Amino acid sequence: MSHSSEKPDVSPAAKRLLIALGMICFGLIGLEFIIHRHAYFALEGQPMFFVAYGFVAFIMVVVGGVGLRKLVMRAPDYYEAGNDDE
Amino acid sequence: MMNSLLPTFLQIPGLLMVFGALLVPLLPHAIRQIWMLAIIAVSVWLCWGIAPGVHMTTQLAGLDLILVRADAITRPFALFFHIAAALNVIYAMHENVRTTATAGLAYAGAAIAALFAGDFITLFIYWELTAFTSVFLILISRSERSFAAAMRYLLMQVSSGVILLAGAVILWHSGQGLNVQALDASTLAGGLILLAFGIKAAFPFVNGWLQDAYPEASVTGTVMLSAFTTKLAIYMLALCFAGTEILIWIGAVMTLFPVFFAVIENDLRRVLTFSLNSQLGFMVVGVGIGSELAINGTVSHAFASTIYKALLFMSMGAVLHRTGTAKASELGGLWKRMPLTMIFCIIGAVSISSFPLFSGFVTKSLTIGSVAKEGYFVVWMILIFASVGALENSGLKIPYFSFFGRDRKFEVKEAPLSMLIAMAIAAGLCIAIGVAPQLLYGILPYAVEYNAWEAGHVLGEMQLLLFAILAFAFLVARGLYPPQIDSTVLNTDWLLRRLLPRLTMAIARPILSVWFTALQHAKKLVMDGLYIGERASQQTGLVSGVASTGAAAGIFLAVFALLLILLFSM
Repeated sequence: MSHSSEKPDVSPAAKRLLIALGMICFGLIGLEFIIHRHAYFALEGQPMFFVAYGFVAFIMVVVGGVGLRKLVMRAPDYYEAGNDDE
Repeated sequence: MMNSLLPTFLQIPGLLMVFGALLVPLLPHAIRQIWMLAIIAVSVWLCWGIAPGVHMTTQLAGLDLILVRADAITRPFALFFHIAAALNVIYAMHENVRTTATAGLAYAGAAIAALFAGDFITLFIYWELTAFTSVFLILISRSERSFAAAMRYLLMQVSSGVILLAGAVILWHSGQGLNVQALDASTLAGGLILLAFGIKAAFPFVNGWLQDAYPEASVTGTVMLSAFTTKLAIYMLALCFAGTEILIWIGAVMTLFPVFFAVIENDLRRVLTFSLNSQLGFMVVGVGIGSELAINGTVSHAFASTIYKALLFMSMGAVLHRTGTAKASELGGLWKRMPLTMIFCIIGAVSISSFPLFSGFVTKSLTIGSVAKEGYFVVWMILIFASVGALENSGLKIPYFSFFGRDRKFEVKEAPLSMLIAMAIAAGLCIAIGVAPQLLYGILPYAVEYNAWEAGHVLGEMQLLLFAILAFAFLVARGLYPPQIDSTVLNTDWLLRRLLPRLTMAIARPILSVWFTALQHAKKLVMDGLYIGERASQQTGLVSGVASTGAAAGIFLAVFALLLILLFSM
C-alpha cells in the first residue's frame, strides 16, 4: 500500500491565503454581534454555535474516518487476491 | 395526444430517446452527436407540454396500464434528466465510442419513461430497462474488474426490479390496483416496494453497488451513471412514500456514514460516489418529512445535486482522461496544467458545499429548514454535520488532492474542448441557480415561502463552512490530515462479495457432502446390479454384451429421475 504523506511546504501565497481566511473568520465572529440569527432550537441560538460546530464537526469527520480506516482498510488487491479477513 | 406527427408509442416520454438510440451505432461521429442532441431537444419539448394527470392508458392481459401520467414533481425531474442527458452527450463528444453513446441515450430515455409510468408494471419494465442499458457503461471499461462489478451491479438492479414486481403483484392481489400511489410501508406490498426503491436509492446496507460499480465505468460512463438511477428512486419514493417517518431516519443515516468512508477512500471518483450517497440522504430525509417545503427541498436538491455532482464527476473524469489515474495518492499540482478544469471543479465543490451564491445553498437549505420547522433536532444536527462532511469530501478533498497538494509534475494538456464545454454549462447552471433561485423555485411543485437569503441564515452558513475550512487548513498545515493510502475500503458490497459466498458454502458444504456420498452409494448399487445382471445374462441370455459406462450412466440417470419425480410429487 503506497502512502501519500501530505505535509506540503506552505508557500507564501498559501500563507497569505491562510491569513485572509483567518481574518474573514474573525470578521464572521464579529458579525455575530450585529446580525440576528433566527433559531429554531435553543442550541442553535447560542452565540458562536456554527463557529464551534463547523470546526469541531470537521475534526470529527476526519478523526472518525481515521478510526474507520483501522476497521475497513485492506490491501488494494483484497478482492482480486481472495485474501482472508485479518 | 401530445404530438400527432409522431407515432403513438414514440409519444411516450423517453421512448423517443430509447428508440432513437438504436440508430446511434449506424451514424457517423459528427451526425451522431447532432442526432442525439436533436432527439433530446424534441423529447424535452414533448415532456414539457405534459400537464399533471393521466394521458395514455392501455390494457394488457386484462390489466389496466397507465403508460403516461404526470405529477406535480414530474416536470422538474424530467427537465433535469434531459439536461443531464444533453450534458453527457456534449461531454463525450471527443470520444468515438458507439456503445457508450447508444447505452447512454437509451439509459436516459428509459429513466425519463419511468418518470411518467403510471402503474407498477409499466414502471417495472422501465426500471429493468435502466439496468440493462446502463450496465454497458460499466462493461465498456473492458477489464475483468469492471466486468465483475458490472455483474454485481446488474444483480442488484435486477433484484430491485424483481422485488418491485413482487410488491406490485401483492398490491394488486390485495385489491389496491397497480397504479403508482401513496403506499403504507408497514404492509407487505408497501415494504417490498420501499425495499426495491431503497436498493436503487442506495439505502444503508444496500448501498455497496453504488461505490462498487460507478467508479469502474468509463470516464464518460460514470458521469452518465451519476444522474439517473438514484434520482429515479428518489422520485418514486417522493410519489409513494412522502411523509413516511422511517425515511427521515434512514435518510439521516445515509447522509452521515458515507462521509467517513469518503475521508479514507483514495480513488477520487469513488469519493464522489460516497458523497453522492450522502446527498441522496438529504433527499430521503425530505421525502420522510413530506411537507410542502420538504418535498420542494427534495426536488430542488435532486435537480441541483444532479448538476453539481455531474460537474464534479466530469472534472475528475477529465483528470483521469489526461493523467490515467484518479487516485489521490498519485495526483496533485494539476492546477497549472488544467486550470479551466480546476475552476469548474471548484465551482462544483463550492456548490455541493452550500456556499451562498451557489446552487447547493438554495436547495439544501429548503430540506434542512423543513427538518428544523418540524422540530427534528437530532436529525437537524446530523444534517448540519453531514454538510460539513460534504465540504470535507467533495469541497476540499477532491480539488485539493487533484489540483493542489504535492505537485506530481504531470506533463498533461487541458481537458478536451467537449469536456470543457460540458463543464462550463454545468458550472453556469450551478451559479445561475445559486444567484437566481427563483428560476428553479418556479418549477417546483409548491410555492416556495422559504427565504434562504435571510441574513442570519447566510451568516450561520458562512461561519459553519469557513471554520470547517479553518480546521482543514489547521490539519494540513500540521501534517495531521490523514495520508491518502492506496487501498481497498471495505463497504457493504463486502456482504455480497465475501460474506454471502462464504455463508452459502458453509451451508452447502454439508448438504453437498451428503449428496455426493448418496450418489456414490447409488452408483455402487447400480453397478452391482449391472454386474449381477451381466452374469445372469451370460447364463440366461436375457442381457447380452458388456455393461458400458454409458449404459450405467443411463440407468443411473433413469433411477435418479424416478427419485426426483417421486420427491417432487409428494
